[in-house]
Amino acid sequence: MSLPNITRLPHLRLLSSIHHQQLLLPFIPPLSVPRRTVIQGNYRRPGQPKDDRLPWEKINFNFSKGLEGIKKQFTLLKKEFTDRWVGPEGKPILDHMLEQNQVVWEFRGPESLEQWTVSSDSEIGGQSEVYLKIGKNNNTCLLYGTLSSTPPKDGETRYSGYCTMRSKQPLASFDRKKHFDWSNFNTLHLRVRGDGRPWMINITAATYFSHHRDDMYSYFLYTRGGPYWQDVKIPFSKFFLTHRGRIQDNQHPLWLDKINNIGFTLGDKVDGPFQLEIDYIGVCKDYAHTEEFAYELYQGKQSS
Amino acid sequence: MKCVRCLLQLQSLRLLGQSTRCSAQYSSLLPSASSQPGLPHSTQQQVSRSFHSSSACSKSRPVPTDFLKDQDGKKDKSLVVQKDLFEEVAKDIKTKATFNKVVEVFTKRDVRRRGHVEFIYAALKKMPEFGVERDITVYNKLLDVFPKEVFVPRNFIQRMFNHYPRQQECGVQVLEQMENYGITPNVETKVLLVQIFGDRSHPMKKYQRIMYWFPRFKHTNPFPVPRQLPEDPVDLARFSLTRIANDLDAKVTVYQVPFTDVSESGEDITCPHIVGIQSPSQMELLAQHNPSRPVFVEGPFPLWLRNTCVYYYVLRADPTPEEKKEEPYDPERCFDYPLQLDIDLERDLGDDEEFDVEDLDEGPVYAMCMSGQGDQATLNQWISGLQQTNPILGQVPTLFRLDSGPRDLQGPAETESGPRHQTDTETHNQSREEVQDEEAEEPRRTQGMKQ
Repeated sequence: MSLPNITRLPHLRLLSSIHHQQLLLPFIPPLSVPRRTVIQGNYRRPGQPKDDRLPWEKINFNFSKGLEGIKKQFTLLKKEFTDRWVGPEGKPILDHMLEQNQVVWEFRGPESLEQWTVSSDSEIGGQSEVYLKIGKNNNTCLLYGTLSSTPPKDGETRYSGYCTMRSKQPLASFDRKKHFDWSNFNTLHLRVRGDGRPWMINITAATYFSHHRDDMYSYFLYTRGGPYWQDVKIPFSKFFLTHRGRIQDNQHPLWLDKINNIGFTLGDKVDGPFQLEIDYIGVCKDYAHTEEFAYELYQGKQSS
Repeated sequence: MKCVRCLLQLQSLRLLGQSTRCSAQYSSLLPSASSQPGLPHSTQQQVSRSFHSSSACSKSRPVPTDFLKDQDGKKDKSLVVQKDLFEEVAKDIKTKATFNKVVEVFTKRDVRRRGHVEFIYAALKKMPEFGVERDITVYNKLLDVFPKEVFVPRNFIQRMFNHYPRQQECGVQVLEQMENYGITPNVETKVLLVQIFGDRSHPMKKYQRIMYWFPRFKHTNPFPVPRQLPEDPVDLARFSLTRIANDLDAKVTVYQVPFTDVSESGEDITCPHIVGIQSPSQMELLAQHNPSRPVFVEGPFPLWLRNTCVYYYVLRADPTPEEKKEEPYDPERCFDYPLQLDIDLERDLGDDEEFDVEDLDEGPVYAMCMSGQGDQATLNQWISGLQQTNPILGQVPTLFRLDSGPRDLQGPAETESGPRHQTDTETHNQSREEVQDEEAEEPRRTQGMKQ
């Protein structure tokens, strides 16, 4: 008597649940597996709207854009061919070999800003703002904005408050990646004017393995403030290896033969307006500096 | 190393004392517990080891009734018990003493320190409120809340796997907050970490990382700012002006000391401080200035000294288009050594150290000042003060190009959409203002002369 009772109850419950499911079915998309696991997409922050467009909908099939692209790529290709006749990197061989210093980035006119991107923590939901413009006398770049270190209220972000300016990766014709070769030089030379805030300089080099993608070499840039320009020389040997904002235990000197880009980050946890003016960024060879790497390279006792 | 060992020994002695004290406490409590039937004999041994027992053991062990009563009185089933503890004990006085008191209350409430991870997280969050976020002793006290020797792995399997991960994470979080506020841990922290988690644990690794990197970057800043800035605005202005002047010969002059006065009509008159700086080379430059060209007072420009922002004003001129004639050095200016040498120092071909960039000429800076108020009258006082040492300022027209003030500095950042139009209108406004200024300038200048 009691046994059928027991057996019947779960059946009923099971049936009702199935029925419920069927009612809901039209509202639930048929794909029960999360899409991110099926198509390897990027991580979506909580609160960020879903990008449901199909892959080809994201491409701009514009005829004039295509023409512009062809023009740009072929001029680049032509430049590559003609530069070879002059010498390496478009310079005569003697100049190239005897080069003591090189200006890599300078700011002359608005088109020089196209080599740079700015970003701030508003990408992760923060409230900082950052802008980049050409300075008053058309010869410098002015990076300014407001820093705000209130973390977004998404429940998982603990720290916030950064503003960044980063150079774009140089591209050869047909969007092949190009790298800077600074192996002749050993010092980074900057001419800046800040407002007393400390910045961080990040250099990324080309890597082979994909898990090294977020490796960066960083060092500090302290600004004096005031109306005078400041010449800063930082040896490359002082740059230390970081990965996703964390300093690494196993350090490695920066290899200068394939440099991708350089970036400036402000994140000193002080809320308020900031500004940084950059005149030029160059590399030079300092014969007095012979240090290979400023940090110890010995392998510590590996802890389990 | 020796002192570490000494401290460790001392601590272990103290621990031993604690454990004996604990066992004594337990034995005094035991009569109440032994009235319950079926008390296993092995608890006696467990008790003598106090904290060594696992959580499972402590659950099965009959809890003395006194503790139960205490728990029932305090515990209401809310999730934020630890925060309540802070609110309870330190209601309105939030100081280091009350913070320490809260920690003490928590450590004394339960021998097993139940819920200590939650408590430490809550305490870390509350630290800036109590103003103890830069105090190493408080951090050590917080780490002391962890029970000792319980989380130390005792065999290779425990060491291989993450032993007590939540507790280790919490320990790492304490160290990370120290790192964020720039507090270097000390030997006591190390001893505590070794006792709590053992060497080779994650918090210990974090400690080692901090101790490796912190001393390396401690003195990297070539323009250091003290942690405690001077309170007095004149001293603060003096410090920041010498910082931005970048010249050891520069001389700071206090043109006006701040004071409050009551005028005849009974109104309060507050006079802001005016502090200026000028170096001999700047005076020389100003003396050579062409009197037909105007000089400008510009500002306010921000300067950050750690967390405080101060504003300064600059007396400058527009760049001169040419007339850059090199004055030959007077050979009688210095008899000891020649001031100019004509030696070709190029060592090799292609041996130039100069960067191939155009020099940007922004015009010379003649003087800088900081003031309590950024209005034109105050800055005019500064100019008239400067005039005593630089008589040329009496002939040179002075124009004021002042922004609307420190508060509105963030304004232009937001209205970035039409920068060109805006600058245009600004310059128009400026030129108009300048004209007015120029007209108004002369009488004021004569006043300044009379003073």
